[in-house]
Amino acid sequence: MSRPASGPAPAATPGAGRGRTILYWVLGLASLAFALVAPHIFTGIADRHLLVLIAINIILVASLDLLIGGAGLISLGHAAFMGVGAYASALIVKSGQPFIVGLLAAVLFAGLAGLIVGIPALRLKGHYFSVITFIVGIIITILMTNLDDLTRGPMGLTGIPFVKINLFGVDHTFRTIINKVGYYYFVLGFALVALWLRWRIGRSRFGRALTAIKGDENLAESVGIATYRVKVTAFTLAAAMAGVAGSLYAHYAAFISPDSFTFVHSFDLFVMNLLGGAGTFAGPIIGPIFLTVISTGVKALSPALAQIVYGLLLIVVIVALPTGIAGGIKRLSATLDRRKQRGATVASGGQADE
Amino acid sequence: MELAAQLALNALHASSLYALVALGLTLVMGVMDIADFAQGAIYMLGAYTAFFATREFGLSFFIALPLAMLIGSLIAAGNYLIVYRPLRRFSGATTFIAALGLLLILQNLALHFFGADFRIVRAPFVSARVNILGATWTGYQVLIAICAVLLVVGTWAFLKFTPIGTSLRAVAQNRRGALVIGLDPFRVEVVAFVLAGALAGAAGTLASGVNAFDPSIAAIVVIKAFAIVIFGGMGSVPGAIIGALIVGLAENLMAGFVSTQYAELTAFVLMVAVLLVRPRGLMGTPEAKL
Repeated sequence: MSRPASGPAPAATPGAGRGRTILYWVLGLASLAFALVAPHIFTGIADRHLLVLIAINIILVASLDLLIGGAGLISLGHAAFMGVGAYASALIVKSGQPFIVGLLAAVLFAGLAGLIVGIPALRLKGHYFSVITFIVGIIITILMTNLDDLTRGPMGLTGIPFVKINLFGVDHTFRTIINKVGYYYFVLGFALVALWLRWRIGRSRFGRALTAIKGDENLAESVGIATYRVKVTAFTLAAAMAGVAGSLYAHYAAFISPDSFTFVHSFDLFVMNLLGGAGTFAGPIIGPIFLTVISTGVKALSPALAQIVYGLLLIVVIVALPTGIAGGIKRLSATLDRRKQRGATVASGGQADE
Repeated sequence: MELAAQLALNALHASSLYALVALGLTLVMGVMDIADFAQGAIYMLGAYTAFFATREFGLSFFIALPLAMLIGSLIAAGNYLIVYRPLRRFSGATTFIAALGLLLILQNLALHFFGADFRIVRAPFVSARVNILGATWTGYQVLIAICAVLLVVGTWAFLKFTPIGTSLRAVAQNRRGALVIGLDPFRVEVVAFVLAGALAGAAGTLASGVNAFDPSIAAIVVIKAFAIVIFGGMGSVPGAIIGALIVGLAENLMAGFVSTQYAELTAFVLMVAVLLVRPRGLMGTPEAKL
């Protein structure tokens, strides 16, 4: 990104570091507990609808963060891969296959689309890559509209079957029109896996290669990282994860059309990622919660207004909050730490060394 | 023979509009390294300028054209002063996203005020017929081609022969070097944006008589023009023009012999192909950009 993302907060003292780890665990478990009880606090059908959307968006943003937060690759066509997954899954399940086959098809086709797009797009460095992803995102929606033998064009696919799973020997169908709670937990499970996966990849050898590319691509290349191949792999992986979200969305809404996956939704995801904080663990959780609620609220007022607000938000967020809310909190706590430390050294009569 | 001539003429007509937009994009890209997608909105507003000037105010099309160019350059200059200049210390990705933000804002303001109805402008000389090598053009198509050629040649002469045009090329080739010898980057950048805005506005007005439009053409036009810029070579003026000619021709061949539905995608296929073989584009060179 433009400004260097705030690195790990400098640990003040070993004691404070352990305290912070405990704090993170407490916060994490509290958030998980809240996520589990949320559908029983917000019982309205519209509220529960928002909860499901937030969970789906968490999967999307976690996958996008692999590119933006992980490798500094700003992809602006992510919603299109979600769309590929959604169409693949919907068409397969409509033809009579079980949900799991649809889900696998979504992963496969979205990943394949990611690979096909990534190979030429990643030839370009810097913001030209973003330009290509933006253009490709639009082309994919044009294809969804034009391949009308398969996708039924702008009319969209209707009557997509609900998810049927076999739970401990009992068949269960998530009829999401009537009851959203069960499906919310179903999607939440996927969201947790996505967050875990994002975190795990970040700590792996592959993730460190991505970090190196983000820092300085030429340097990464010179220390023997096959940067192009690593980037194509990351792009494919992120697209495949977006495909999962697409499949979950298709069988939730039971209706998809090219309008569900436009470049505006790609911006949505991008802003969520940035606003939450790219490259942080909490970012892909905070961003979707904030923006899903705000955008639904504004869209209810006026759709044209919503997009104008989006345009403004896009500019403001990227200028004012390059490290997002989570990054901002991190920076703030680092500053507080430093201040506390300085206070301590001054109090003990030592010299402040900053 | 007649079919070939007709195809070539149609291609030339499409290419001339693409060339104008691509030229503006490539100019700004060369000077400031910004993918200024907001120019799509200027194109769209150029079309609406022609519509309102001729329909509501009863003005002649020939007054609407310079008016649209003026409005286009004012908006482009405004975008530069309000958004791009304050952002110049940020990376290219930041300015690109800001450009998309601008595109979204302008497109939806237009949607809010002008509505989503398709419009078309009553253009001059539509009923006149001109025969060239057995192919027929309307008088208006001839007008478009003449205007486009004049604008392209004018831009080229401006860059080549005027002092400010020369400094524009200097900044594009080597920004630091240009600053060392005392060129004022602010002046050069404003000129690049004003020029680009005028070209986009003119393209929008000229297209408004043949293609029905609504606010959403802003995004559609600019992505195609940008695909042409990438195909021709980013920041290259001859690249933009040759790219526009090739894409216009290929599109019409596709529409004529394969399928009209997928003709729209020709520019993007060419873009991907060139990226695989020659990532800096047909005419792009690593150093000299304009």
